[in-house]
This record gives sequence, C-alpha cells and structure tokens, in this order.
Amino acid sequence: MNPIPFLHAAYIVAWVVYLGYLGRILLRMKRVEEERKDMERGK
Amino acid sequence: MKKLAYISIPLTLALLAFTSYLALAVAPTERTMGDVQRIFYYHVPSGWVAGLCFFLNFVASAIYLWKRSAASDALAAASAEVGVVFCTVLLITGPLWARPVWGIWWTWDARLTTTLVLWLIYVSYLVLRRFAAGGQTQVLAAAFAIFGFADVPIVYMSIRWFRTQHPSPVMGGGENSGLDPAMLHVFLINLAAFTVLGILFVWLRYKLQMQEQALESAHAQAALKGVSQ
Repeated sequence: MNPIPFLHAAYIVAWVVYLGYLGRILLRMKRVEEERKDMERGK
Repeated sequence: MKKLAYISIPLTLALLAFTSYLALAVAPTERTMGDVQRIFYYHVPSGWVAGLCFFLNFVASAIYLWKRSAASDALAAASAEVGVVFCTVLLITGPLWARPVWGIWWTWDARLTTTLVLWLIYVSYLVLRRFAAGGQTQVLAAAFAIFGFADVPIVYMSIRWFRTQHPSPVMGGGENSGLDPAMLHVFLINLAAFTVLGILFVWLRYKLQMQEQALESAHAQAALKGVSQ
C-alpha cells in the first residue's frame, strides 16, 4: 500500500479544518460588528 | 485588537507553513513506517493543544462557578470549541496514519476509545451551551465541564495503564522511548507552532464570545425599553 496519499490527506485535512475554523471565526466577528453598527444606527 | 489580529494571523499561518515544510521535507524518514510517520508532526501537537484547551476550559469553568464572571464563561466556551477543533484533527489524522501502518482504520483500544469519548463529551458540552434554555445554562455547562475533564488524564495515561494497539509514549515512556535528535527538533518546533495557533484561536474566539454577549445584552435592554414605553 502506497502510504503517501495518506500522508497528504492528513496534512490537507488538518489545513482545511484549521483554515476553515479561522475563516468561520472571522466571518462571525464581521457579522457581529455589522449587527452592532446597525443597532447603533437604529438608536 | 484588529491591528493585532491582522499581524498575528498571517504570522501564525507563515509559521505553520514553515513547520509543515520542516515536517515533510527536512525531518528524517522513519526506518520502519517510512514517510507516513510524518503525520506524527501534526497528530501529536493537535492532541497536545486539545488537552491544553480542555484544561483551560476546566480552569475557566471552576472560576465561573466561584466568581460568576462573564469573562471566565466566555473563556470556557472559547477553549472548549477550539479544543474540539484540535481533537477533531487528532481523530482524523490518527486513522489516516493507522490504515497504512496497522492495516485498519480504527480499533476499540483504550487510547482511541477514550479519545473518542473525550471528543463526544466536549461536543455535548457545546450542544448543551447552544441549546439549553433557561438562566442556569452557564452554571450547568461549568459543572458539566468539570466532570468532563476527568477523561483528559485517562486519555493521557491510557497507553501507560493498558496494553494498546496505539504505540507507547514516545517521550517519557521508559528506557526504549525517545526520538532521534533531528526528529525531536522538528517535533518541538511543530509543537510550539501548534500551541501558538491554539492561543490565537482561543483569543479570537474569546473576543467573539464577549462581543456576542455584549450584543445579546444590548438587544435585551432595547427590548425592555420597548416594553416599558
């Protein structure tokens, strides 16, 4: 069995999970910030 | 905060890219397993950071039960979520390493089973925080976290207490344990890089949690004002 695809898969999965999670946090931060600004404008 | 994030995020990602290069191209090839052993440089640091996050969750939950501070509750939520992310990578990279080396994806041995249970405990914790109704959710979550943390030392000790399919400890595991110095350097650099990534995630997630809590209370105050008028 050629182990190289398993090695590459492990590294790709790790990068996808970590970058995806980072992107998710940043996106949620942006949404909260926009919602806060909307609320301030509505006051 | 934004400025610090703009600097720390690319720096951390650059550090991770560099450590991936070290793990894939610089570290020597292991004699019996070959190149697939290089998963070790991502697998073990992911487990280390997950353990650190769950410890942080335990401490923050204990502080919350004592002081009832919003900051400690936010830190508990942030560290649990980040811990689950790292534990997920641990549980995915493990079978990807096991398949070519053991010939199987999974076996119900002590280390693997207790790690899966650990992941399930903290996923349940996050589900509890997300869906429980009523004013006592944070207290309930903090109590759950304190009991849940009991699995962390069991996961750590499982390869010492039981004969397992999982390898014995590489470091601190007795006379025959240890790493080649060239591998050890790469491993320690990866460990440091993953720790930095974990700190970055917890910090960003903590800030987000605090912002969400502030927004929720602002919404509640606005709703109360609307009712009283």
